[in-house]
Amino acid sequence: MNAVETDVLIIGAGPAGLAAAFETASRGLQVTLVDESKSMGGQLVQQTQVLSSLPSIYQPMCGFELAAHLSRQLEDFEIRYLLGHRVIGFYKDGSVGITDEKNVFPLRAKKTIVATGASENAIAFPKWTLPGVMTIGAAQTLMNRNFVQPGKNAVIVGSSDFAMDVALQLSKVGVRIRGIVEKNTGVKANGTEKVEQVRKIGIPILLNSSIKEARGIGAVSEVDIQQGEDIWTEKVDLVCVDGGRSPILDIFYQLGCSFGHQEELGGWVPQYNNDFQTDCENVFLAGNAAGISTQGALLVTGMLAGINVCAALGAISKEAVEEGKQSLWKELESIETRSNLKVWQARNQHIEKFAHPVLKDQFIS
Amino acid sequence: MDKSTIICRCEEISLEEIVEVIANGARTFDDIKRLTRCGMGPCQSKICNCLVAGVIHEQTGMEFHQIPLPRMRMPISPIKLETLATNSTTFSSVKSVLDEVELEDGKVK
Amino acid sequence: MHIKHHPVLGEQLQKTITIYFNDLPYTAYEQQTVAAALMANGIKRLGSSRNLVQPRGLFCTKGRCCSCYATINGEDHVRTCQTMVEDGMKIYPNDEDPEVRGECCGD
Repeated sequence: MNAVETDVLIIGAGPAGLAAAFETASRGLQVTLVDESKSMGGQLVQQTQVLSSLPSIYQPMCGFELAAHLSRQLEDFEIRYLLGHRVIGFYKDGSVGITDEKNVFPLRAKKTIVATGASENAIAFPKWTLPGVMTIGAAQTLMNRNFVQPGKNAVIVGSSDFAMDVALQLSKVGVRIRGIVEKNTGVKANGTEKVEQVRKIGIPILLNSSIKEARGIGAVSEVDIQQGEDIWTEKVDLVCVDGGRSPILDIFYQLGCSFGHQEELGGWVPQYNNDFQTDCENVFLAGNAAGISTQGALLVTGMLAGINVCAALGAISKEAVEEGKQSLWKELESIETRSNLKVWQARNQHIEKFAHPVLKDQFIS
Repeated sequence: MDKSTIICRCEEISLEEIVEVIANGARTFDDIKRLTRCGMGPCQSKICNCLVAGVIHEQTGMEFHQIPLPRMRMPISPIKLETLATNSTTFSSVKSVLDEVELEDGKVK
Repeated sequence: MHIKHHPVLGEQLQKTITIYFNDLPYTAYEQQTVAAALMANGIKRLGSSRNLVQPRGLFCTKGRCCSCYATINGEDHVRTCQTMVEDGMKIYPNDEDPEVRGECCGD
């Protein structure tokens, strides 16, 4: 069996992957889009909150609406969709192994855009392994994608903007939030409006506090919350942990990419230049995999990776590339300085260090 | 967290076990993995990676940028052997453990 | 509990499906993953851990943690958060490692 050939392989059909697919497919490149899920949009599908800070051409909309828009935008182009397919790894000859769960087949791409997104970090406490303890994103997925109420009484551990969004959404489907537990002295969320909304519907935000222990037979039924010297018990059947997010790196690691460390971007991030190209010439990246940011910024990074791949394959004129890059970088700056200045600064620092990654040749011990 | 808190959900490695191997000189995720089986279960360190880095940081004072990533080998996520074996003759070989060490005259440097 | 009237997305759950967990029938809807459908029916424990035999269930819903492993239609170690429900599906908890060293497996 010969390897399937394609101009551009895009791994991940979330906001960044779909934006990159539009940029490349609309300029006549042959695009293959792989995603483990059978539906497109990645984690946008279960975002029912209105997304703030989208690029200027977009009206304010919810995540699931944006997912539908990005998918519709691709309808006019011939794209090879490998939905319900997984990348299992890379071979020595540079081909990628893709499975449809029955077979594995090799695929060879001229350029690859890795848009694998982010994963949620765990928070450990005694008995956090009990069923009913899950990531905050898991609770949101159950509620908005599977239409299942994940519990009746909940605590949320962590106080990011995302935790506030999900707290509000959980309340609307009848989950009683007994408290938002934050270990630090202040709320992590930047959106003061959302925090106010959470307080207004009577959800206590507990600072300087943590889960001392969870208990339950077969599933969580209560947790001990500690705040300073005080320890008390809450009867809950759902504990949502919000430990922040980090880029998903497996594919970059297998490809032999270098990494740098930027706390504000989620920890280890593949090293890339201002073309969103990694130190492996044929590998580009986009989205949360290039540093955790807001959905609007993810779209722009996808577009940037897309037009740079077009440039590398000669599918776009030099002038058009320069013009496109300039306006997209401006857009990215505008979105990130508005939503989270630290992310913008970290991204620039990260790019400056392109030639000096912290982790290099990690396949050699 | 008390010392019995599980860090690696798959292999059920406790905080105490990880702290002990760090006390004995382990400094990276892979050190800890080789000594305890932490990260060797079905999730292949996808969940405990960040927790272990946190423990190394707390125990040794090492900064997060000094704590390297764990190895991430093929297959990236669980796959049936029956599926993995399809078309096996048409594939080039995968990067192996031997590609990960520097060899000199066929011996590890 | 199934969310019949979603505050933003409306009434999405229409087509019911019957699945079996430990041979008992449960109602699920076609948009749901196995793990989610079981949770809607109050089933959270999907298996036990291998060493300490502690309960395990859904954790990440993204196919990464493998905490939601169960046996589906005779196949062991299926990630139930990544598997959509199908009518008549037979699900058993992941309570012990499958027998792979027996004579029947060529050992």
